Amino acid sequence: MNNSAAPLMELERVGRVFGDGEAAVHALTDATLRVHRGDYVSIMGPSGSGKSTLLNIMALLDRQTSGTYRFDGVDAQSLPEGRRTGLRAHRIGFVFQAFHLLAHRSVTENVAMSMLYNRMPRSSRRTLALEALERVGLSHRADFLPTKLSGGERQRVAIARAIAPHPTVLLCDEPTGNLDQVTGRSILDLFEELRASGLTVVVVTHDPRVGLQADRILEVEDGRVEMLPQSNRRVPSER
Amino acid sequence: MKSRQTTRARLDWRDLIVEALAGLFARPGRALLTVLGAVLGIASLVATLGVAHTAGNQIISSFNELSATSVVVTTDRGFFGDNAPRVALPWDSETRLSRLNGVVAAGSMADVNIAGDLTSSVPLNDPLGQTEFQVPMVAASPGLYPAVRGNLRTGRWFDQGHSERADRVAVLGIGAAQRLNITRVGQQPVVFVGDLSFVVIGILDDVLRQADLLNSVIVPEGTARELYDLESPTTIQIDTEVGAAALIAAQAAIAVSPNDPALVRVQSPPSPESLQTQVESDVNALFLVLGAVSLLVGAIGIANVTLVSVLERVGEIGLRRALGAGRRHIAYQFLLESTGIGLFGGVIGASAGVLVVVAVSASNDWTPVLDARVPLGAPLLGAVVGLLAGLYPAWRASRLEPVESLRASGA
Repeated sequence: MNNSAAPLMELERVGRVFGDGEAAVHALTDATLRVHRGDYVSIMGPSGSGKSTLLNIMALLDRQTSGTYRFDGVDAQSLPEGRRTGLRAHRIGFVFQAFHLLAHRSVTENVAMSMLYNRMPRSSRRTLALEALERVGLSHRADFLPTKLSGGERQRVAIARAIAPHPTVLLCDEPTGNLDQVTGRSILDLFEELRASGLTVVVVTHDPRVGLQADRILEVEDGRVEMLPQSNRRVPSER
Repeated sequence: MKSRQTTRARLDWRDLIVEALAGLFARPGRALLTVLGAVLGIASLVATLGVAHTAGNQIISSFNELSATSVVVTTDRGFFGDNAPRVALPWDSETRLSRLNGVVAAGSMADVNIAGDLTSSVPLNDPLGQTEFQVPMVAASPGLYPAVRGNLRTGRWFDQGHSERADRVAVLGIGAAQRLNITRVGQQPVVFVGDLSFVVIGILDDVLRQADLLNSVIVPEGTARELYDLESPTTIQIDTEVGAAALIAAQAAIAVSPNDPALVRVQSPPSPESLQTQVESDVNALFLVLGAVSLLVGAIGIANVTLVSVLERVGEIGLRRALGAGRRHIAYQFLLESTGIGLFGGVIGASAGVLVVVAVSASNDWTPVLDARVPLGAPLLGAVVGLLAGLYPAWRASRLEPVESLRASGA
């Protein structure tokens, strides 16, 4: 955080091609966008539009085939795999549509797992995990197995897992896709709270109700990213 | 957050162990079945080595120090050799053999033909009791006493002087002494063999070789030559140093019969080492193959199950990669899981193998003998087998791309 004016994530004409030759699929072409610290950005588009590909590249899980992507000023393409892995462990939190909780580990263990690979001392992991569970309002479920929880609670556990190591940015891939409307709503409220506490949030979704929650909305269509004109900062009370 | 972005991902080894154990205990039933494969392999290996070692040890214990140091030279013509020429063993065999390096003691002996003469102690007019007995007479050289590892109850053994002077002295075996009712030699009791009298100078309590002596009247060779025209000794008993028996057996025939060494018979103990090795290798060759095969099957089982586990946990692998696990962390975790299965199987298998050895020994009245390195090394072997079995699945797991793993297991 040496220069808070520089964008946290900066994509310039980023493209991603799967396969080659005639079978090549251009999942992403010319994606240019910036995400600043404290932003709450949603990436919207119909399924198959390339938004998940975009998120995977931003998450350092995938590499673009063209263009440049700078994460916190560092060219991600030039980073060796070990460094990219390190960035995932330390700086980026993930929330998946399918939760991806380990069924045979307790809620606390699932949350603590996000700190397994990032030099967090063993002793402070549990404290941080419980802290994160409190932030998502699940302290009373700390010793449950995920299989005993409702869908909304599971996603909250997944969010707690993502935020427990205090990442710089939270990347969410259809976080409400597996939830009913009411539960999804409560997850969105949670994002709002997290953003208010200074976390950068990027949400990929095809659901306008989710997307409109954000400060900025990016539209992905046929692999192209378009920034919708307004930065219509919504008043929280509007909810 | 600071500037942690330069830090590489890492994983504490304790966490690695916890994760691997959690992975195993997530499916305890399957883990146990997989362990069973390793258990069978290790158990059969340990049992094989143990039983072979125990059996081999049984053989060596029957070749004890006593028989391993005994060499006997005779002029027996053997079972089919009635017509073979017979050599006479020289009177000085004892002296000749004592010069050989490795001989502790040597003594010659011969049955004396007393033509059916009965033996009695001092005539006692007891009309009811039997006073005359048929007791065999043996002529012996002075060196026979140590050579048979004799033990006198009382008195003494005769020496070279008795033999040279042809003194009429005798040593009674304990059996003969009891029949003749002689228990002490202090007052120089006399026995009569036919008309000839002998002064009893000692009573032989026990011998470890040539047990016939215990029922005989034993006289010096010189005495037997003079009184009964004994031609030559017929048997020579040699007591060798431990390990020298084979050498002495080869030299003894030449020493006592330089012209015709082939005409004397030399009985020496078989080499116990060769027998033991033979038995062990017989048992080993058969069952070690069996053990190795079951271990191989166990290893394939571990590899299979670990591979299935990898494919089943693609989502977990993707998640871990997204959370910052490097490829090697994923590989380590699965390697550790398969190694754990192998180690656990090795521990159980070693215990089961030891039990088998004990059971087999108990049913055969053997003393179980097991090289300590076998049960201690078995868990290690199991761990190595598990490690090797896990190499391929772990490599497969580490090659998975996080994006595809997460997508494949989505929803």
